[in-house]
Amino acid sequence: MQDAITTLINSSDVQGKYLDNTGLEKLKSYYQSGELRAKAAIALGANASTIITQAVARSLMYTDITAPGGNMYTCRRYAACIRDLDYFLRYATYAMLAGDPSILDERILNGLRETYNSLGVPIGATIRAVQAMKDVTADLLGAEAGKEMGVYFDHITAGLS
Amino acid sequence: MSLVTELILNADSEARYPAPKEIRIFQDFAKTGEQRIRIASILAENEQRIIQNGFAKFWERVPVTPSNSGNPRKTASCQRDMGWYIRLIAYSILAGSEKPLEEIGTVGIKEMYNSLEIPLRNIVECMRCLKAEAVSLMNADDVAEVAPYFDYIIRSLS
Repeated sequence: MQDAITTLINSSDVQGKYLDNTGLEKLKSYYQSGELRAKAAIALGANASTIITQAVARSLMYTDITAPGGNMYTCRRYAACIRDLDYFLRYATYAMLAGDPSILDERILNGLRETYNSLGVPIGATIRAVQAMKDVTADLLGAEAGKEMGVYFDHITAGLS
Repeated sequence: MSLVTELILNADSEARYPAPKEIRIFQDFAKTGEQRIRIASILAENEQRIIQNGFAKFWERVPVTPSNSGNPRKTASCQRDMGWYIRLIAYSILAGSEKPLEEIGTVGIKEMYNSLEIPLRNIVECMRCLKAEAVSLMNADDVAEVAPYFDYIIRSLS
């Protein structure tokens, strides 16, 4: 995986150069956002299960998907669904701390679409749940941190669609 | 790899959110960002000076060494390599971790210089001279941050 720092270091190193002013400015704003990212990570870790519960309530719970014949019918499938949402939230939190989405690609998204298709997991419903998580976390974290988390939820959505 | 990536990979290996201690380390790291950028800039702006003065001191201490053999190609390669180490230290300062230095510059360092038939103890002495020159440009807080990376290279050579 990469983060906001290592991407800059790696691109400088292949040229054998120190970080230029643009790079240093980017780093500066990343360092300055550290406190915001740290507080958001604490809040997300503390509220992870609540976030999932509320996101499911907003997006999936009262639709046909949880009724007999739906893809979340049977507790086993329901449990698998919230487990995956839990992964998405945790990896989005990592990506937000890192200031870089690459860990989402490496640990979550590569091959996920194909896996879901072969398992018959509906992509559209998954995307709705991810977007609901984005809304719930924005409510929890406030505008600034919510916007930053939104980037990584949108990255998951884009990777699935 | 940076302090941030290390922390995330540690948490991920146990499928958990970052622990309070890890978050605190991250916060302290971010708070010292200004200092990190300042040190990296001092190293970048003064690389030539550190190399010139450091090598002059080194040749006084160790006159018989490939970089002082009168072969300009050897001198240039040695100084270029040492300049790279200064750059890698600047990366490590910004990353808050010795990993960039290790991944790019110290894994295999002994084997490489042994194969090039450059005496390791001379490189150690040279690195000490560069360190002295670099820290002479900095205040005490910055020295405390940068010195361990020079020591890390020196350790990896011995």
